[in-house]
Amino acid sequence: MNRKTDIVVVGSGIAGMTAALTAAQSGKKVTLLTHGVGSLAISSGSIDVLGYVNGKAVADPFAAMADLPENHPYRLVGEADVRASLDWLKELCGKAGMAMQAGEGNQQLVTVMGTLKPSWLTPLSFHAEAIEDVLRVAVVSVEDMKDVHPGLIIDQLQRYPALAKKEFVKAILPNPIQQAHRNVTPLDIARFVERPEGLQWLKDSLAPYAKLYPVLLLPPILGMKHSQKIWEQLCSALNVKIVEMVSIPPGVAGLRLREVMKKALNEAGVYLVENTEVVRSEVEQGACKALTTVATGGENRWEADSFIIATGGLLGGGIGTAPGKAWETIFGLPLDMPENTEEWSSPSIFGDSLFARMGVKVNEALKPVDAEGSVILNNVRFAGRILGGYDFATEKSGHGVALATGWHAGTLAGKE
Amino acid sequence: MNHNTNLDKCVACSTCVVQCPVSEVTSKFIGPRMLGPASQRFRLLNDGEDNSLSYCTNCKNCDISCPHGVDISNINMLARAEYCREHRPSFRDWVLAHGELEAKLVRYLPTFLANMGQANPITKLLLSRLGISPKADLPKFAPKQFPAMFKAYKQPEGLTKKVVFYPGCFVKAYAPQVGMDFVWLMNKAGYYVECPDTFSCCGTPLYTNGFEEDARKNAAANLMEMAKWHNEGVPVMSLCPSCQLMFKEYPVYFPDLAETAGSTDIGDCMQFVIECIERGELDPASAAVQTPLDIIYHAPCHLRAQGIGLPGFDILRMLPGVNAVNADAGCCGISGSYGFKKEKYDIAMAVGSKLFETIKDSGIELVSTECGTCKVQIMHGTGKSVAHPLSILRQRLEGSN
Repeated sequence: MNRKTDIVVVGSGIAGMTAALTAAQSGKKVTLLTHGVGSLAISSGSIDVLGYVNGKAVADPFAAMADLPENHPYRLVGEADVRASLDWLKELCGKAGMAMQAGEGNQQLVTVMGTLKPSWLTPLSFHAEAIEDVLRVAVVSVEDMKDVHPGLIIDQLQRYPALAKKEFVKAILPNPIQQAHRNVTPLDIARFVERPEGLQWLKDSLAPYAKLYPVLLLPPILGMKHSQKIWEQLCSALNVKIVEMVSIPPGVAGLRLREVMKKALNEAGVYLVENTEVVRSEVEQGACKALTTVATGGENRWEADSFIIATGGLLGGGIGTAPGKAWETIFGLPLDMPENTEEWSSPSIFGDSLFARMGVKVNEALKPVDAEGSVILNNVRFAGRILGGYDFATEKSGHGVALATGWHAGTLAGKE
Repeated sequence: MNHNTNLDKCVACSTCVVQCPVSEVTSKFIGPRMLGPASQRFRLLNDGEDNSLSYCTNCKNCDISCPHGVDISNINMLARAEYCREHRPSFRDWVLAHGELEAKLVRYLPTFLANMGQANPITKLLLSRLGISPKADLPKFAPKQFPAMFKAYKQPEGLTKKVVFYPGCFVKAYAPQVGMDFVWLMNKAGYYVECPDTFSCCGTPLYTNGFEEDARKNAAANLMEMAKWHNEGVPVMSLCPSCQLMFKEYPVYFPDLAETAGSTDIGDCMQFVIECIERGELDPASAAVQTPLDIIYHAPCHLRAQGIGLPGFDILRMLPGVNAVNADAGCCGISGSYGFKKEKYDIAMAVGSKLFETIKDSGIELVSTECGTCKVQIMHGTGKSVAHPLSILRQRLEGSN
């Protein structure tokens, strides 16, 4: 089958979805080809813009961008577009009833590991500054929830000088899910709390602690689609400040955000083709004509005026590797990596590893360029982790780069 | 186990867990990651089976969501087949799996007699004792089944191009008109339709209910017939997403058969219709009926799993006057025979509740979907009428019913 459209986007992580949405909002017909759903659904659901540069904590990510190398995606996209992408997401989520807000500088979110994690744009229920003003904090979990241990969280939090003097107390709520055949995760409880009887259960179970502690730290269990409303209701009914902690996968807030974006994609008329993998590209005179995918009944060919590739990195499938070489998987663009694979990683686990920043080299329009800076494919843009020049894990910039580059690519393609 | 999925491709990221519609509504199911790749390691050590194996509906949302291409649902289905080799499935499961045979038995009965189970409280009680939920609406047998209707239908003369239609059990026994609508459309596009008698049930209900050997026999017959047409260069196609998917998975379930048969891929009727439109053989713009019509479309999971997009939805969107919106509300819950089972009925309804709500909230009266059992479930959950995209296409093109 051969189909034609204005723009084809590949990948449905936060970068691909953002690119598809912004392009569709510019009036283009967009087809989104996906293989898996990306990592947004299992993530924190908060947008980390920039937490660390060269291992040093950053107070204001925008001020710190000047210290990033020239080929860093933020430097290519520019501060104005990074901010515009954040405003765009804020508006999208606000309209969907899941308000996201930034603080003065980086916010410190509390994680279920008892650590503080710098982030920028977060749902209201994750804002943790309320802890600063109080002495007594209850750290809440649910019986049988093996991913969230208040004891561990308290011990860890008290290692931070600013929190050392706080009075933390453990609070374990009874497990409301009877006869479970698996470990209970925050996602199970969040889905339960989304229902009226679940909300009532949570309200009743928290009430005794709310009388004693002005701040309650919870795993992300405040419902799904209606999390903001539930958070507001509980805070006001119990006269307490509730703060959700960032959890490990299966994430809850990430899934909340993904559902908001997926709904927007459908409303924007983006044509979604799931469970398909690009196996071939057709390039003529420096431009991509079409991508071919495999599916039941044979191959499908997707023609478009321009293409946005947001296929992720090593785990997402955007980057292929073999000893001594690495390449981008759709067009086979070689990535600049040393032949000696031992040089790819640093001996120190938290060190600066080349593999962590390997990816496609692009210009300011996010089009791929060769070593001399000449554009290789003039109607193809790259967004998200497939890009080289940044290390999201050590910088704490994953969603931020994905959002900014997805927005930049989608907006530019939409204007053409 | 004759399946070559590399279990280490699963990095336990839990993406499938958050997307699994069964895990979402019941904690009795251990979940796709645990039942699939994680349990498989224990199976390889002969370390027993998880007792929630029967809770997987094989809806394939885990496969659709997996970022690393692990076919989790196939691991589960192969495990179920292996389990059922030593543990005979129940008579209830036999009944639900062998719908094709039952349809053949009742085909000469008057419709009211064949459909007695629908209204008769005694039959309902018997079905309930058997383990079929008395609350479920079983599909009703059509007065005349597809093979008889097709044989009686005279196709126009002089059609030089040819396609082969694989009708599947649902079209054969319960929705023959949809099959006839497809034949009409093909004739209009200039194709003569062949529908060989040798085609039998694709095997999905047999395999997923644990009747591996029965499914194998059907697969062998179907593949032999299909190879014949492939050799002649005639395209073979089906309008049932689950049948299509089963053909695609024959190499996983029956690798020896697939090897001798060559390609096991079967085409999609809706995709073929779009190709006809692109070639100018059909023209939706010239539809006889162009009056405004709102339609809410449901994408069957087994269609989404095929990686071809939503050609049926596309066809609806091409029709002048039609305003088609995608419900995009996930699985309907029925998963073939799963939702008819007494102990699974409530789970299936809970899975479908999001879709039912979306349809009801839309205020749109007409639902469209390709899958027969999705249709049964949507009618049961919403009370709305449900039509196949190709039936709507025919009605709009032809101008009368």
